[in-house]
Order: sequence, then C-alpha cells, then structure tokens
Amino acid sequence: MRLSPDQFWTYFEWLFDHFALLQGFLLVLVLVLVGFVIGFVVALLKHGPTEGFLQVAKLIRELFAIDIPQTSTRRIGAIARLAIKEAIRKKVLVVVAVFIVAIMFAGWYLDPQAQYPARLYISFVLTTTNYMVILLGLFLSCFSLPTDIKSKIIYTIVTKPVRPTELFLGRVVGFSSVGTMILLLLGSMSYLFVVRGVDHKHEAMEISADGNSGVTTSQQYHSHTFSLDDAGEGTTSEAKGHKHIVSKNGDKIVVGESTGDLEARVPIYGLLRFTGRDGEESTGLNVGYMSEYQKYIEGDSLSSAIWSFKGVDRTRFDKALTYDMTISAFRTYKGDIVTPVGGVVVFRSIDGTVVSERLPFKVKEFQVDQRSIPIKGLKGFRNEQPADLDFFTDIAPDGKFEVMIRCLDKSQYLGMASADLYFRAKPVPFWWNFIKGYISIWLQMVIVICFGVMFSTFLSGPVAVIATVSIIVLGFFGFFVDDIVKQADQGIGPIASLIRIPLQSGSGTELDLGNVVLESVIKRVDQGILICLQTLSRAIPNFIQLGTADFVAYGVNLFEGLLARHLTICAGYFLMTGIISYFFLKTREMAA
Amino acid sequence: MATTTAPTTPSVSSTDPTNVIVETRNLGKIYRDFWGRKKVNAIKALDIEVRRGEIFGLLGPNGSGKSTTIKLMLGLLFPTSGRAFVFGKDATDVAKNERIGYLPEESYLYKFLNAEETLDFYGRLFDMPASVRRERTEQLIQMVGLQRARRRQLKEYSKGMTRRIGLAQALINEPEFLVLDEPTTGLDPIGTREMKDLILRLRDQGKTILLCSHQLADVQDVCDRVAILHQGELKELGRVDSLLKVQDVTQIHAKGLDEKTKQEIKDLIARSNGEMLRMDNPTTSMEELFLDIVRESDQRPGRRGSGA
Repeated sequence: MRLSPDQFWTYFEWLFDHFALLQGFLLVLVLVLVGFVIGFVVALLKHGPTEGFLQVAKLIRELFAIDIPQTSTRRIGAIARLAIKEAIRKKVLVVVAVFIVAIMFAGWYLDPQAQYPARLYISFVLTTTNYMVILLGLFLSCFSLPTDIKSKIIYTIVTKPVRPTELFLGRVVGFSSVGTMILLLLGSMSYLFVVRGVDHKHEAMEISADGNSGVTTSQQYHSHTFSLDDAGEGTTSEAKGHKHIVSKNGDKIVVGESTGDLEARVPIYGLLRFTGRDGEESTGLNVGYMSEYQKYIEGDSLSSAIWSFKGVDRTRFDKALTYDMTISAFRTYKGDIVTPVGGVVVFRSIDGTVVSERLPFKVKEFQVDQRSIPIKGLKGFRNEQPADLDFFTDIAPDGKFEVMIRCLDKSQYLGMASADLYFRAKPVPFWWNFIKGYISIWLQMVIVICFGVMFSTFLSGPVAVIATVSIIVLGFFGFFVDDIVKQADQGIGPIASLIRIPLQSGSGTELDLGNVVLESVIKRVDQGILICLQTLSRAIPNFIQLGTADFVAYGVNLFEGLLARHLTICAGYFLMTGIISYFFLKTREMAA
Repeated sequence: MATTTAPTTPSVSSTDPTNVIVETRNLGKIYRDFWGRKKVNAIKALDIEVRRGEIFGLLGPNGSGKSTTIKLMLGLLFPTSGRAFVFGKDATDVAKNERIGYLPEESYLYKFLNAEETLDFYGRLFDMPASVRRERTEQLIQMVGLQRARRRQLKEYSKGMTRRIGLAQALINEPEFLVLDEPTTGLDPIGTREMKDLILRLRDQGKTILLCSHQLADVQDVCDRVAILHQGELKELGRVDSLLKVQDVTQIHAKGLDEKTKQEIKDLIARSNGEMLRMDNPTTSMEELFLDIVRESDQRPGRRGSGA
C-alpha cells in the first residue's frame, strides 16, 4: 500500500493550506452562476427579460427567506419514515441475504493459502459491502420520486404544506437510514467473518533440549518457529502476516493468540525534502524510472533526505520510538551484490543544536525495515558535545524534529518518498479501524443517494440510474483530467492535439505552426477548456480517493483527519445536490 | 356566456374579498410538447370565483379542462397566462396548502401502508403533534367506516374503501377548503349517498367545497353553484337552481286528488290559455328504490317479495 503525501495532511492543512475551502467556494460560485444563467435563459424564453429576471430572483429569495427557514423536521421525518417502510416492505433486506450467501461461499474463491489471509478477507468483505451498498443506494434513490410522480401519489404529497427542501431531505435521510441499517448488519457479519476466518491456535512441538525453542503445529497452511528468553517469554517467527506470543507455564510451552494480522498501526508521517550533493535544497534525483513516486539521493555526498515531523509527543509511544522504513536502492555499479547498500539515519532538533548519533542501516529492499530508538538514553550531541539525550526533552521539545538519511556508498543511490519513513505510535484497536472503514463506505453511499435523488427530481427512474452510474464511473476517472490539465501548458490540449494529428507531430515535441501568436492562442484556449473540464471533474466525487478499504486491509489506522475530509466532501455534495434538487422541484410541474 | 348569480348561502357576500376562497383571473393553460410546440389549449381565459361556505361544481365533458383547472388551483401545474389565487395567495404558494384538503380523481396513496399509517403519514406532513394525529386518525377512520380494515394494507382495499381512505386523508387537517375530484367514482349507491351526505355536512360545518364530477345527478344534488366548461372555455356559471329553472313551465306536486279535481285543474289551465304538458304519477329514482330495498333487507333479512 502506497500512501501519497496528501493522504496524511491534517484536516486543517487540507482545508486551508491546500485550498480545499477555496476550491469548494469557487465550485459553488461557478455552479450558482451557471445555474443562474441557465435559469434566467429558460425564464427569459418563457416570460421575457423583466419577468424572467424577477422569477429567478423570486426563486432564490424563496429558498433562503421561506423554504429553508420553514423546513420542518417532522415532515422530513415523515418522508424518511415512509422511505424506510417502503424499503422494508419491498424486501430490500434481500441484500443482506445475498451477502450472507456470498460469505458462505467465500471459501470457494478466497485463497486460504494466501500470504496475508487477513488482508484478503478484509479486502473481500469491504469491497463486497461497498459495491452492494452503493448499488442499494443507487436503486433506492433513483426510482422513488419518479415512481411517485408516475403513479401520481405525488399529488397527495405536494398538495400538503411540503416544501421542496423537505422532499429532498426526507428522501436522503430515509434512504441513508435504510442503507445504514443494512450497513450495520453487513458490517457485523463481516467483522465476525474476518475474526473467525483468521482465528487459529497452534501447539508447541519439536521443542529443543533446553526447552527454549521449537516449532508450532501447522494450522491454516502455516507453522511458526519460536524461541524463548531466560524469563520464558518470546514470540514466534512471522508467517502469513502474524506472530504469536509464546510463554512458559511451568514445563508447558503455551502458544498464545496471534498478533499483527488484525491490527491498526498508527503511522506518523513527516514532510520530505531533499538536499543535493552540495548540501543545497533540491528536488531529489530521478534515476530514470517512469514512476516518480520515489526520488533518490546520491551516496557519499551531502545529498540527503530530510523529513520534518510535528505534533509528535511522548504520550503516543511506550518506551521506545518505533519507526518503519521502506527505502530502495539504485546501484550504478554491481559491486558486492550480497552486501546491501548502506545509509545512516540521524534524528535532530529543528534548530540543529541537538543531534543523535549516526545510526547506520543496510537497505532491506522490498520489505518494511522496522527499527526503534530509546526515548531515554539516546546517544548524541548537544551543542556538539557528546550527551545522553531524552528524545522528547532534547530533540523534540515541542513535538517538532527532523530525520535525515544519507547514503554511505559512493555512486550508489537511495530512493524514498514521503510515506517511506514513519513512526509507529501506539496502535488503535482493529475494530475501531474497521468501523472507520465502514464509515467511509457509508459516506460513499450517502453521496450516491444524494446524486440519485437529485437526478430523480427531473429524470425518469431508469435515466436517473444511468446518470448516477455515469457520475460514479466518471468519479473513478477524475484523476485523468488532472493529468491532462497538467500537460496543457506543453501544448497537449484538445485543440493542439487535433492539429497534431494531421501534422503527425508527437506530443513530446513543441507545437510548431510557424506562428508564435497562433501557438500561444491555441495554448491559452486549451488551458481554458481544460480548466473548465477540471472544475467539472471537481464537481464529481472522486470515489478512488474516498475508498479507504486498503487502510483497513493493510492494517494502517485510517486517519481521523482523512475521514473528516471525506465527511466534508460528502457534506459539500449533499449541499450541492440539495440546491440543484430544490430548483428542479420548485420549477417542475408535478402534474405535467 | 357565463352569468354570475347571487351568492348561494346566506352568509356569503360576493362583494367581500375575504369571502373569496379561489379566484382565477384570465387563467390559461397550453400544453406543449418537448420542443415547445403547442399541443392542446386546455384552458382559455378562465375567470371564476369560489366563495366561502359554498359547494362549487365544475362540470364538463372529458377534455373540457376541469382537471387542469383544479391542478392549476392546487399548484400542480403552472399557468401559461393569467393567475390563480387561493386564500388570496398565488396558487403555487405552499403555505396555502395548510388550509386545503384534496381528494384526487383516483386515490393516489401508498399501497404498502395501512389506513392508520396513511393518516398518520399525512398528519405528519401537516406538522401535527402525535396526540392530535392519533385523535384525528381515530375520528376519520370512524367517519369513513374503515374500523375493521384499519390495519390492512391499502393494496388489499376495494375501490370504494380506497376512495374512503382517500377522503379521510383529504380531511386530516380539518381543511377550510376541500377539493374533490370525482368523489363518487367507484362508490356503490349507498357509498355515493353517504358521500353526498358527508359533503353537505361538511358544507354545513362551514367548509368550502370545489367538486368536479361527471355524475350530473350528484352535482345537482349537492352543489350550490356550478361552472360548465367545454373545450377549455367557461360556458355557464351560476346557481344550480337558477340554471335549471325552466321559467315558463309551472310544476305542481299534490297528493290525494281524485279524477274530478284533476279534470278541473286541466280545465282551469285551458281557460287560462295555458298548455297542459303532462299530468301523471311521479316515479321514484333508481337510487331511492335501491336504498329502500337495502334498508328493508337490513331490517328483515331474507327473500323479498317480487314487485312485478
């Protein structure tokens, strides 16, 4: 699992430093303007310019002055209760039955010999639940209002003092409640399925003569070796992504519960920057790989990778500071292929006056190198004088500090990305991470319901389903638009591309039309088109970003900040779809 | 063309604007297709008033614009020209619905709910507290005679029962103004009579009723004033008794006359230069006959003697 730096921004960093709030406002502004213009054009054609303008103005005034203030929770509750009753009486619980059947036969298509069975089980239940609940939300939300309109039941609703806001909110709340109930059921069953699926016990066997080591019995296609210390305590070797605690009870060796398979480690990430071979700030080296996920530093030079951490305090750790590294190496000569490329890690205060000793390491490629340093008694230097350091008193008194890595071997390179070094705070319980994963699914479901209800205010049921599915599909490909926008400046926009086809001009070369002004105009128009496209893509939920199944499956704590961001995004879509629905419901002739 | 007549009920004054519940001014509706081309001119410059405390009938053949007029008054459609006002507010104003009850042509209700749930749901839409909803639900179920079917889902209801629960939902908020679209459709003669009696009772309680029906006899029985529409135009408007009165024909109902007296009456008419059109024994209506038979059967079950 690879995390991108934006995934561990804090909520407020995302909101303010990375302009999410500003983007949100701009999006709302664009939508309001577009809505106003479309509304005005329609009203203009119907009523003429003056009356048309007054109609649109009246509509906006009524939203804020009448319909929102007079929205009744009891009416919303009534419509929501109705939606719940309708769903139950129309046997929506069949979804649960389908899920039970899927779980019953899961053994047929889930490989019990997989290297990480827990990861496989968790991914399976989360993905299955995600798709089922999204489909459920889709069909519930898209058909309800069109069915009411088609069967004319809506006549008896809108002739009561029911406001458009209540029609939208009631349906969204109702269908979300149904989805929540289903999700609770599926979540409980999934949890049991995962926990029971990985639950197993070993017995000690083949115990050595001194009684301090041995092998466990084979269970679920694996066994462990183990060794005990003088106190009679120890752990087994890792297999299938977990270990067991082993202890002596008299003469008997007891192999305990598994650890490490159902966990939620809490990584603390820092921001990465690089220095070049001269020690000056740089962007890190690209050694020629297509993927630019990792950048490289040169060995035996001042080139370094520096992570800045903040908000790290003593209460989040036990006796030692554990950190994980996933550093890769790039060799420019083969050298001694058995000996890994080496590097050093240094911990230092922000002002650089307190520095730990250089901690050498050898790169463990393609695996997580788990290391730790003591909080108290860390060897280092204070004002260049040797000293025993307390990490949180000397190096990170206000929770801020830096970690620097350098490569030791000349002409060899070490590669790293922001997420490749992180500290492991005390883990949170697995069940809590599991719940957060389900909250994430719930948010996706609510977004789908909001869009479904919105489309159903002006489209028939089947067409609303197609429109909502289109939004979901586009949501999965929104990042393509971002990539294209980045390339517009290089003359790879839509118009430039059209011109390049007959000219047989590759995208890697500058667009050469022999007219600088024309080239510039094409570039600017392309940029304009792509920015509009990007704004539109922002209006569509990015379901890849909203998916957090990997966090739970890979045992990484789903950051509360990330969840809060998703919650805010969900609230944004709720607001946007609510406003659009309001205008459609308000201007629609229900009996037409 | 339309003739406006005096108010139907003694308490009503047409000159008092507060007594006008519904008013349409030059109301027009054109149905258009997807491309905006005119399909049907459903209503043409309609001017009518429904006054407080009266039963107002809207008559006309199929396609005459009755339902369109009602939908415009309820805000279910928007006018192409002119305006409709209900309680002095624009017909599209949601607030007016607080004081309106509407029984649609078919009882468009959620079939998966039972009678109690249906009334509770509509009560909630009026923001009524739970205790009021319970009380009102009980009253209405009693009133429409659905006590024994109160827990059955509406999908199991007969057409008549559906009509009755439809009426109950229209009355859940004790409306001042009741719009009834074909209220007797699907009802048997007893149900029809009960419905007509109920409409009159509601009028006596001070409610204003707009009734739209094909059943001319029903309209004649209950309406104070009627408007007759044809091809979207108002053809006649006035009090039922005035509109139906044949000015130059006199009708006398008498009981216990012998043949000699009848002859004297004929002679008298002849002497007065009148024309004797008809003198015979009146027949009862089929409705009266049917209701008499059912009443008698309720009192004395068993085969009834043939009248043939």
